[in-house]
Amino acid sequence: MYNIRELRAEFPILSRVLPNGKPLVYFDNAATSQKPNAVIDAMSRYYKTYNSNAHRGAHTLADEATTALEAARESIASFFGASPSNLIYTSGTTEAINLVAYAWARRNLSEGDAVVLTEMEHHADIVPWQELSKEIGIELRFVPLDLGDMCLDMGAYRHALPGAALVCVVHTSNVLGIRNPIEEIITLAKESGARILIDAAQGAAHERINFKELGADFVTLSAHKMAGPTGIGGLLATNEALSQCGPFLTGGQMIKSVSTDGSIFRDGAALLETGTPRIAEAIGWGAAIDWLSEIDFNQMHDHIKSLAIMAFEGMSQIDGITVYSDPTRPESSGTISFLHERIDSDDLAMLLDEGGFALRTGQHCAQPLMDALGVASTNRISLWLYNTEEEVKSFLSHLRMICERFGQ
Amino acid sequence: MADRTWPVALDPVVQAFENCFDAMERYELLFEYAGNTEMMLPPDHWNEGNIIHGCQSRAHVECSVDELGLFRMRGGADAQIVQGLMEITRIAVDGSPCEDVVTLNPDFVDAMGFRSALTPSRSNGFMNMLERVRNEARRLSEGYE
Repeated sequence: MYNIRELRAEFPILSRVLPNGKPLVYFDNAATSQKPNAVIDAMSRYYKTYNSNAHRGAHTLADEATTALEAARESIASFFGASPSNLIYTSGTTEAINLVAYAWARRNLSEGDAVVLTEMEHHADIVPWQELSKEIGIELRFVPLDLGDMCLDMGAYRHALPGAALVCVVHTSNVLGIRNPIEEIITLAKESGARILIDAAQGAAHERINFKELGADFVTLSAHKMAGPTGIGGLLATNEALSQCGPFLTGGQMIKSVSTDGSIFRDGAALLETGTPRIAEAIGWGAAIDWLSEIDFNQMHDHIKSLAIMAFEGMSQIDGITVYSDPTRPESSGTISFLHERIDSDDLAMLLDEGGFALRTGQHCAQPLMDALGVASTNRISLWLYNTEEEVKSFLSHLRMICERFGQ
Repeated sequence: MADRTWPVALDPVVQAFENCFDAMERYELLFEYAGNTEMMLPPDHWNEGNIIHGCQSRAHVECSVDELGLFRMRGGADAQIVQGLMEITRIAVDGSPCEDVVTLNPDFVDAMGFRSALTPSRSNGFMNMLERVRNEARRLSEGYE
């Protein structure tokens, strides 16, 4: 049974009252999720009792820090159905994609090779490829959105595939909440001989992703969108893909030996992690994963989906509101973009903030998608496992009041 | 009314906001000020030269001095909250000596109940707009001399 009351009690911030006296209603989970006590306590415990650098030093604290760092790697990798040796810690999804662009693509692609992207991508999955295109002359092919159902145009995707060397696709849109047909996209990419990268920054917080079963070459992850801390994420990469990588950054952990004549690097995932590891963050992410492992994701998905449908249907009935998502689709997440035809999106966000509702406004780092939708920005609510029916009802009531008072 | 640090022209404005029942009523009043399109900078005058950076929505301000050397400004924005704050700023500074505009204190925004607009991280960029107006006043003052 999904006990929302007990679950919320584990997130201290959710009981916060804002300076204007309004209780916080947090609907900005696609930007970052809140953190349960398990994560806050694990990071605090590390700093209070065994803060030390990892992988170096012979003392007790260094051993404890190293053990905790690698235990977190095992938990995280296991959660995603991967081996620890296939998980590279990064600062987040953006760095993970840049890592693939620098460490793999720069060595394995050359002028004229094609990379397939989509209009749904976050800037983090567009700009590294544009930069590489300027540098070595790769061709970028963008798969458009089908504006009829707000999904990728799979016919256009099939058309873009022949001869492509790499496909990069977002698992779940951070703007529309649409979950792409990833399995079909991967199958088609592999049939055409292309490597494939899946940006799972949003998707990993909404469904259990199994790296081995998925069959992608690269999957990029963000800890802070799935109850973990900011500043850490990961890249899951197959052994074959790792064997084709060169160094990304150099120095620190990736070194085997250095002399004045040159340096020898470590292999595999170790090659791609440099400097002092993000120890506290990795421990926090591991704690988040352990905490999420106790959650039934099917129940969570049903809960979020029921809230999203309630919000979608309520918003759709408010005069002047246009919704750019469809959470009634079976695999949609809890993210809904919307606009009011007469109230500027920034104004609407400020007026909602006055009611205690935290949501995102802007381009969501997805300008090509904004262009495809023909809008400059959107308001966006993004629901997660701790949101409630009461919050959605309260949001709809406040939104309706704003539209009646300010949207005439 | 709180101790005044703003031009006397703003007294009735601040008073009207202080008399509002709640935050939503204050925003309604701000939207009314935004509706004074007569003094607004029309969109066909919006350009890269008068854009205010730091606003999430588009916002522009045009400043000049009249034949008497007094400061004149017009502002235009997509967002009504920014437009309303611009209009109130215009009431504060329009027709004032440039030297007075350079030292304009933003406390009136706080007194009107929009303290959050003074936070630099807020996307409405009011402080960027005010800084732009003060810098323009400084520049025009030097140019006039």
